[in-house]
Amino acid sequence: MVISVRDLVKDYGDVRALDSVSFEVFRGEVFGFIGPNGAGKTTTVRILTTLLPPSGGEAFVLGFNVVKNPVDIRCRIGYVQQQLSLELFMTARENLEVYGLLWGVDRQEKRRRADFLAEIFGLRDVMERKALELSLGQRKRLQVAREFMHDMELLFLDEPTVGLDPIVKRTLLDFIREKAKGEGLTVFFTTHIMSEAEYLCDRIAIIDKGKILACGTTEELKERFGVETILELVVQEGDGEIVKLLESIHGVKEVQPTDSKSIRLAVVDPYSKTPEILSLLSKEGYHVTELRVKEPSLEDVFIRAVRRRESRHE
Amino acid sequence: MNRLVRLLIRDLKGSVGLSWHLLASQLVMPIVYIFIMGLTFANIIGGVTIGGARVSYVQYLAIGVVFGQLMLSASYAGAMVFFDKRMGMFEQILAGPFRRWEYFLSKILSVVLQGLFGSSVVILIASPLLIGLTPTFKGILYTLFSLIFASLFFGSLSLLISAYVKTDQTLNIVFNSILPPLTFVSSIFYPIEAMPEPLKYIALINPLTYAADMTRYGLFGITSTTILYAPLLLLTLSTITFTLAMHAAYKISL
Repeated sequence: MVISVRDLVKDYGDVRALDSVSFEVFRGEVFGFIGPNGAGKTTTVRILTTLLPPSGGEAFVLGFNVVKNPVDIRCRIGYVQQQLSLELFMTARENLEVYGLLWGVDRQEKRRRADFLAEIFGLRDVMERKALELSLGQRKRLQVAREFMHDMELLFLDEPTVGLDPIVKRTLLDFIREKAKGEGLTVFFTTHIMSEAEYLCDRIAIIDKGKILACGTTEELKERFGVETILELVVQEGDGEIVKLLESIHGVKEVQPTDSKSIRLAVVDPYSKTPEILSLLSKEGYHVTELRVKEPSLEDVFIRAVRRRESRHE
Repeated sequence: MNRLVRLLIRDLKGSVGLSWHLLASQLVMPIVYIFIMGLTFANIIGGVTIGGARVSYVQYLAIGVVFGQLMLSASYAGAMVFFDKRMGMFEQILAGPFRRWEYFLSKILSVVLQGLFGSSVVILIASPLLIGLTPTFKGILYTLFSLIFASLFFGSLSLLISAYVKTDQTLNIVFNSILPPLTFVSSIFYPIEAMPEPLKYIALINPLTYAADMTRYGLFGITSTTILYAPLLLLTLSTITFTLAMHAAYKISL
């Protein structure tokens, strides 16, 4: 186990930022920590990177206690913080090489890694320009690239894709995935963008208002929160009867006509139910001209998890 | 390579990268002081007699200006921390394989080295006025001691203040408020014997007085009322300030 967190609490004065947070992260996995802004993601990362002391509970990173052995942890981790952090008056190359120096990487290796990362992160043409002169996107790329100047067992990425364009974002996510799958790097990835977490993460914890709402693989979460697949049907000629017909089918949870010909169905088991639905519609004289399947997303899970929590509090 | 050395190299690279122009501009004031004010006042004052020895005013002033400059560059230590905080590098470095005290010690060592470099440049610039001096080995040791420990004192003081103020603007205000009195209530521009009675006593608790007097003793051989206990006092003051600064550094939040 790479991270073990038990009943972690963090108070800022009267405000409880983390409330009895517990989870575990295993070696070689990409662990997503998702939640809206202000949910407690960055506070968690700061405690795990030993930058902040917890107010209560326990946290172990790579087997070391975050309070008792902070340096043992920091020697083995990488950290890309949410805020931009660069040596603005140094060139992109100097930023990479000085960071390598800080981590004790030797001169030749520094140069080799800097060139490699410049290529991967599309920074080759701006390597001799000062960070101050780079665009925001280039600075963010440089900041993320810089962290790979040194070796690590665990990488904390706190909203690393903010400010990146979609192509660079995908390149970064693929690079991280390759590091995790190919080299066994464990990644703790915080984001509020559900599609990123779904694309990258092996397991996900959902945090909101300082509390973990759920933790598991995407599929487990979808199952746990009963998020159904949506079928969108377009029929040649619809009427009011078709809604009643569809509602009568076992496993169809919600039927919502969007116009006279289109209907949205929430279906629990779409792959076994779809033939049954189509057959019944055909038998009753409805001709289906289009069928679209919309898989539930992590966003749906997140919304369901938050709503469920809110309804419990009401 | 030692972690502290790595941090120190980063600080020096950063400072030079940030401020080659700033470093160059810092030489303007010493040149103005020594070659304009010094030479002009030398026509009025003639010379300064302390401890039975007499030196020209411009020679007296040149050493004072070295320490004025040193105080200014050492006080940059606190600003370096604020700059790192603003650039996100404070958090980034503290999430790396460093202890907090190593980070702060590197700042102080960095300003000590920069102070030594800046002082050497000012002394080099003023060297035409110092021709004929033949300092002894002991004199050179005195000079080095005073330069190092004065930098240590002012670097630590700057860090100490930066631990208690919330913004770099406040840090600037505090420094702009305390540096001029420290400069003028000391033996930088004139011997403290010439100062009005109450100010004389204040100058006697100002480390700048001791540092400048030690260097004048080291280079010119001129002695003053403070020279006997100056090294011990400077050492004590800088050690206390350094200890307080390192302790206070843990108060600086992310």
